[in-house]
Amino acid sequence: MNIQRVILALVLLLQSSWAAAQATDAKELIRLAMDHWRGSTSYVENTMTIHRPDWERTMSMVGWTEGSKNSLMRVTGPAKDAGNGTLLKDNNMWSYTPRINRIIKVPSSMMNQSWMGSDFSNKDINKATDLLEQYEHRLVETREQDGHAIYVIEAIPHEDAAVVWGKEVVVIRDDFVMLRQEFWDQADVLVKAMDTLEIKSISGRTVATVMRMSETATPDEWTQVTIGAIEFDIDLPGNLFTLSSLRNPRQ
Amino acid sequence: MSLPLSAITTLAWRNLWRNHRRTLIILAAIVIGVWAMIFMNAMMRGMIDGMVDTGITMLPGHAQVHHRDYLDDPSVVNSIAALSPAAQQALENPDIEAWSARVRVPAIISSERDNRGVILLGVDPAQELGVGFDSTDLLSGRFLESVDDTGLVVGASLLEKLETVSGRRVVLMSQDPDNEVAERGFRIVGVYEADTDAQEERFVYAGRAVVQAMLKMGPEVSEIAIVGNGYRDLGAWLPELRAALTADYQVKDWRELDGYLEMAVNIQDGFVVILAVIIFVVLSFGLVNTMVMAVFERIREIGLMLALGMRPATILSQILLEGLILLSIGLLLGNGLAVLSILPLQSGIDLSGIADAAEMAGMATTLYPVLHINDMLLSSVVVLVLGLLSTLLPAWRASRFDPITALNKN
Repeated sequence: MNIQRVILALVLLLQSSWAAAQATDAKELIRLAMDHWRGSTSYVENTMTIHRPDWERTMSMVGWTEGSKNSLMRVTGPAKDAGNGTLLKDNNMWSYTPRINRIIKVPSSMMNQSWMGSDFSNKDINKATDLLEQYEHRLVETREQDGHAIYVIEAIPHEDAAVVWGKEVVVIRDDFVMLRQEFWDQADVLVKAMDTLEIKSISGRTVATVMRMSETATPDEWTQVTIGAIEFDIDLPGNLFTLSSLRNPRQ
Repeated sequence: MSLPLSAITTLAWRNLWRNHRRTLIILAAIVIGVWAMIFMNAMMRGMIDGMVDTGITMLPGHAQVHHRDYLDDPSVVNSIAALSPAAQQALENPDIEAWSARVRVPAIISSERDNRGVILLGVDPAQELGVGFDSTDLLSGRFLESVDDTGLVVGASLLEKLETVSGRRVVLMSQDPDNEVAERGFRIVGVYEADTDAQEERFVYAGRAVVQAMLKMGPEVSEIAIVGNGYRDLGAWLPELRAALTADYQVKDWRELDGYLEMAVNIQDGFVVILAVIIFVVLSFGLVNTMVMAVFERIREIGLMLALGMRPATILSQILLEGLILLSIGLLLGNGLAVLSILPLQSGIDLSGIADAAEMAGMATTLYPVLHINDMLLSSVVVLVLGLLSTLLPAWRASRFDPITALNKN
């Protein structure tokens, strides 16, 4: 990983004046940041806190990912919500609710709705890789902070991309931790942003352990994800990302 | 003794004006009644025509061809692949003014701030401009230019709800034939206005080929909307087209497609008669009273005429004639008043004050009263026939008086 980082820094220094090459590098940076966050496979235990001015609730959950296409999330607490699960596989999304013992395929019409009542939409959860495929990337700023190089990348969606934002701005540290992701509307107004509030070293990697998503217009409403434990590049059973495993936990 | 008709008419006319105040009052009642009948009908017709107009623009067209399962499940799976040569031929009928082959799917439109359910229409602008879209409705920007146009035309109210403006990009999301998410970004190139907000918020227009590519479907379409020449009678092309279609496809006219509209039109047609009868029933009490009074006051006089040898039939016709003259003057004035009061309103009555209520009924915010010569004739005939029938009772009684008893009445 260190060698890769050095090579990347070199590449960036050497070719920063070439716009085309720069675009590739900016995209590469985002891809590396995503891979860094996910690994080839990963297992994560986290809590999600949904905060509103008059109430707040916290859910704990576990999740597995494999590549960028497959992931499985399951709520473990509180008891009221335990067992609720979400399966993502090849751009499809299913949710399972034990109370009604039903698996529902999340239809396109629900993609913009909130995921489990949080400030994330189903689309945020499902289409994380859109940032790579549907945007043009440009490195707009490189700065030094606390001994780290920080890259600010501006991503502008393609004309026909299924993306409503005017642009996204991603701030990535040179160890591939994503510090901030901003969502701007087409009138250049910041709509919402996800901030990394805490970075820790777990399982040999520096990972963002506390992340908060909030809308600019309503700063007192936010959703915060806190990583409790995370493991990378582990062996996952072949039947993990299946509907039957969504319904019947075997892990 | 038999009097010539002119003499009876003179008698009737003079009798009518003996008590001119009573005659004028009943005349005023007839005039107002007839005027109200015709005026109300013109308003009702205007309302219904407006509803049908809005309804047919919403559908759009007077008839539509679909896959036979499309109306139950409007998904891209149930589309029209290609029409048989016979059906193509049927669409060439000179009575068909225009037709448009469209892709029509439910979709979700989203901007940065909001998202809403809409009907996404993939159209060929050359065909669509004669059917579902009127270029005068365009508020700003442009309509689509070809089937490959990547722009999107949306309603003004939808734009407001999405908190976006013309020139920005929005995302449309629907489902492809394998039930997977199909989505694409579109730039808003045009904004249209419609009679109702519901319409503006319902339909978005995009290039047909672009929508077909987005939905991963072939060159199929969801529906063919057909505009004939007038909505009441569609003409022979409909059964011809129906016969030419294969079993997989069906054609339905606007009555079948929108039962509410059909009902509204049928109610209106029945209502013309009902309204005329109701107003008449009220009117007839006054009329009968007037004639009964006229006869009652003249019992001695009628007795004298009978004693002098006037035939009961002449008495009967004289009193009927009085009623006829009264009714004719009333009808003439009533019809004239109705025409005079409706003509200045022909340019439309602005209903924007009650726009929300009007919209609930599917009406436009401008009401154009429609004066039908048939409605005027119908109400005139109803008043005349029923009026004469109600004069018949006092006239009959007068002609049956016993001359001795009548002469001795004081």
